[in-house]
Order: sequence, then structure tokens, then C-alpha cells
Amino acid sequence: MSEKIIVELNNIFKQSDRGFQLFKDLNFSLKAGETAVIIGGAGSGKSSLIELIIGERFPDEGSIEVFGVQVKKHRKGRLKKIRRKIGGVGGLFSLVPSFTVSENITFPLVLNAEKKAIKKERLFKMLTEFSLLKQAKEYPRKLTRVESSLVQYARASIANQPLLIIDEPLAGLDKHTYKRIFDYLVKVSLSGRSMIVLCSEMPEETIPNTKFYRLENGTLV
Amino acid sequence: MIRVLYISKEFFRNLYRNPGTAFSSFLSLTLLFLLFDLFWVAVETSEGFYENLLSDMRMEIYVREDMPDSLIDIIEFNLNQIDGVSAIKYVSKEDARNELISMVGIDLLAGYETTNPLPRSFVLTIVPDKLTSKDLNDIEAHIVSIDGVEQVYYSQHWLGKVESARKIIFQIGMILGGLIFLTALISSANNLRFMTRFRAVGFYQMRLLGAGKLFMGFPFIIEGMFLGITSSVVGWGILYYGSQKIEFNQFELIFPSLDNIILFCVGAGLLGIISGYLGLRKL
Repeated sequence: MSEKIIVELNNIFKQSDRGFQLFKDLNFSLKAGETAVIIGGAGSGKSSLIELIIGERFPDEGSIEVFGVQVKKHRKGRLKKIRRKIGGVGGLFSLVPSFTVSENITFPLVLNAEKKAIKKERLFKMLTEFSLLKQAKEYPRKLTRVESSLVQYARASIANQPLLIIDEPLAGLDKHTYKRIFDYLVKVSLSGRSMIVLCSEMPEETIPNTKFYRLENGTLV
Repeated sequence: MIRVLYISKEFFRNLYRNPGTAFSSFLSLTLLFLLFDLFWVAVETSEGFYENLLSDMRMEIYVREDMPDSLIDIIEFNLNQIDGVSAIKYVSKEDARNELISMVGIDLLAGYETTNPLPRSFVLTIVPDKLTSKDLNDIEAHIVSIDGVEQVYYSQHWLGKVESARKIIFQIGMILGGLIFLTALISSANNLRFMTRFRAVGFYQMRLLGAGKLFMGFPFIIEGMFLGITSSVVGWGILYYGSQKIEFNQFELIFPSLDNIILFCVGAGLLGIISGYLGLRKL
């Protein structure tokens, strides 16, 4: 496994909008190819942690580096490049309502200005892999929750983004979809891509190369 | 290429999905531009009218009665030296009498064969560039200083009125233009802002995936440009069609030159781009 650090949070302090201390001296690092499962209850700050990593919010104190780039408030131009390397599923990440399923899935390729032929080829692969061929031209409002989630997985995979952030990947799924998503997570973990998985509870099964963290009292333990 | 395709698709999709907003934006811009076009044509027409009148304007210089005819050539020579004089016509006492006869129809001076009271004069034609109050005043001052000149006459009062009318028209044009520019800008920017608010959730998601503001906003900026250009072209089209259908007996409508109309349409497109950008400022 590569020693290259992809995400690094050092001594993060952050107060919530309502005034309570969200993070107190939080430290976290994720190497290339690693999977981090962060477990935390409702309101523990899981989503806020993701917001910090993708530069949607900024810490009061401490430093954040993602793909070797400092995430800073006055360097918002750099965020685009960081975000294009991240695939997101669930939580903050949802679908663009005005795009069809195909357009949602291929959007990362549009941002990367990939060739049309590559876009077509990868789209077909994703639609097949996630059994979305029938829904390809549908708009998100017509999809079920599971279908919508599958589209997000397809979008997070189409450009081979080196980092995947998945919020509650297995919650509320039927047995068949649970297995399918779990297999997908294992596959991603073995492929050398890095993952940050946020869960409310400890998963029943273990994903390879995984480090477990618990988000408690504003810090990771 | 894939980005260009995306932007084009989104541009048409915006028009297709929000036809009401796009159409209301188009209508309001067309009306505003039409109002401005109307004013512009009115200004061009009145300018043409004034220029026509000004081209007939002459300066008359009356020679002192005691000046011998032998010195007339010297006065003419001095008048010729003045900057701005393009032509000089000498009117002798006899010419003046003949002109009076042609104007009145009868010889009012019958019996005054030896003592014609009409003065000798010069009629000056001034180059168009110098047909302003200030330049004519300067020319007048120069002429008055020539020995043998009794009096200088030109339509000074009328010219002053024309110039002040032109000034007022210019000021109204500036204010109206400014107001129309602002109204078009605000109206168009608000329509685009409304459209972007409508898609706020989508834009948030696109941003999370790494889309830049300009990338997301480009289809809207193109839409602003498209609406600006089409509205201005349609505005001129309506005016031209109307001018062909209605006949004016007293005067002829003068349109701005095609170059200026094209420039105006390009400007309207630019205004659309600015309003598109303003509409996306808080994206």
C-alpha cells in the first residue's frame, strides 16, 4: 500500500453555527488505498467533517490538506480540483434534479473534459454494473431511494476518482442491495482507491484495509 | 468538446424548461430597446432636419455706403482669408434690386434709378464644420474688423435655439439611454437570478462535484447574450417594418447607419452577458 497521504486533518477546532464546540483538536489522516470507517451518532459532526474535507466549511483552527493541497478559505479556486478527485455518495451528495440519470453519472467526465467516446463507453459500463439501463433517461424524481443511491455510486465510480466519501452506505437497504453495495465497497477497497465511510453504527461485516474511528466529543478515537 | 456540448445543451434546456421567464425577459428587453430605437430614430431625423436647414444658412455682410466700388475687391480678398469661408458671392446694388423684384413681384424702387438705397453686400457660405454659434461669432468678429464692413447678419438667434434644442435632445438621450440600460440590466439579471434560484439544489451538487461558477453559469451568460441580441434585432425589425407601412408626408424618417445598428445589437448582446454575470454573482 502506498504511503502517500491523501487526506490529513491536523489539530482541528471548529465551533458549530449554534455556538457549541463541534471539533476539539481533531486529527485524522488517510493514506492512498486505505479505507476509514468513521462511526458516530446523530449530531456527532460526521457531515461537518466531510464538509471540512471538501472545503464546504473551514476550521476555526488547524490545517487540512487533501491531495497535497491546503484547503483554505481564500483559496477556493483550488477546491474545484480537489472535489473533482472525490466521488461522493449519500449525505451531502445527492443528484442534480435537472439532469437525467445518464447525465448525472457522466457529469464528472464532463468536468474532466473527457472525450465523447470514453464518456459513452464508461456510461454503458456503469449503467450495466449498477443495473440502471432502464432508468438511463429518467430524472431523479422518478427514481426510488435505492435507484437514486445506485446512480450516486455509478457517478462516484465513472471517473475513477481516487477518493470516495460514502455517507451511511448500508442503512435501510434490503438484503439484496445490501450485499450488492457491500461487495462494491470491498471491490473499491481492493482496487486501491481510498474511502471514507460514515456510519451511525458499526457495520456487521468488515471491509478489507479498513481503519475504524469513532467520532466522540469532537474528536476521533 | 464535451464541455461545449454540455453548455449548448444546458442553454437550450434553460429556454425549454423556463419558456415563461425567457419569454418575459425577451419581451421586456424588446420593448425597452424599441423605446430606445424610437428615440434614436427621432434624434437622427431631427438631426437630418437641422443639418438640412444649416446647409442653407448664409452670412450676409453689408458694405458701408460711403465705400467706393473700387475697394470692393479688397474687402472680398480679406473675406477670402477668413478660415471657414467656403464661398463668397458679391451682391451689387443692382443685384439686390433684382432680387427684391423677384421676391415681391414688383419693382418697389421704380423712380430711384440713380439713388438705389439697397446696400451692397457679400453672401458667405461657411464650411459645415464651422456652423456653430461659437465659430460664427469668431468669424463675425473677424469680418467686423475689416474696413468698409457696415453690418454682419446671420440667423444667430435661430442657430442658438437649434443648438440648445440639440443639447437638450442629447441630454434626454443620455438619461433615457442610461435608464434603459439600467432597466434592461436589472430586469435581465433578475430573470436569470430567478432561473438560477430555481435550480439552486442542482448547482449545489454540481459545485460539490467540482464544477466552477463560470462553468455552471456559462449557459445563463449565453442566454443573456442571446436574449439581448434577439431583442435588439427584433426591436429594429419592428421599427423598420412600421416605417415601411406608415407614410410620413412632412418629413422622412432617418435610421441610424447599418454599422451603428449592428454595433447597438452587439452592445445589447454585451449587456446580456453582463446581466448574465450579475444574475449569477451569488450562485
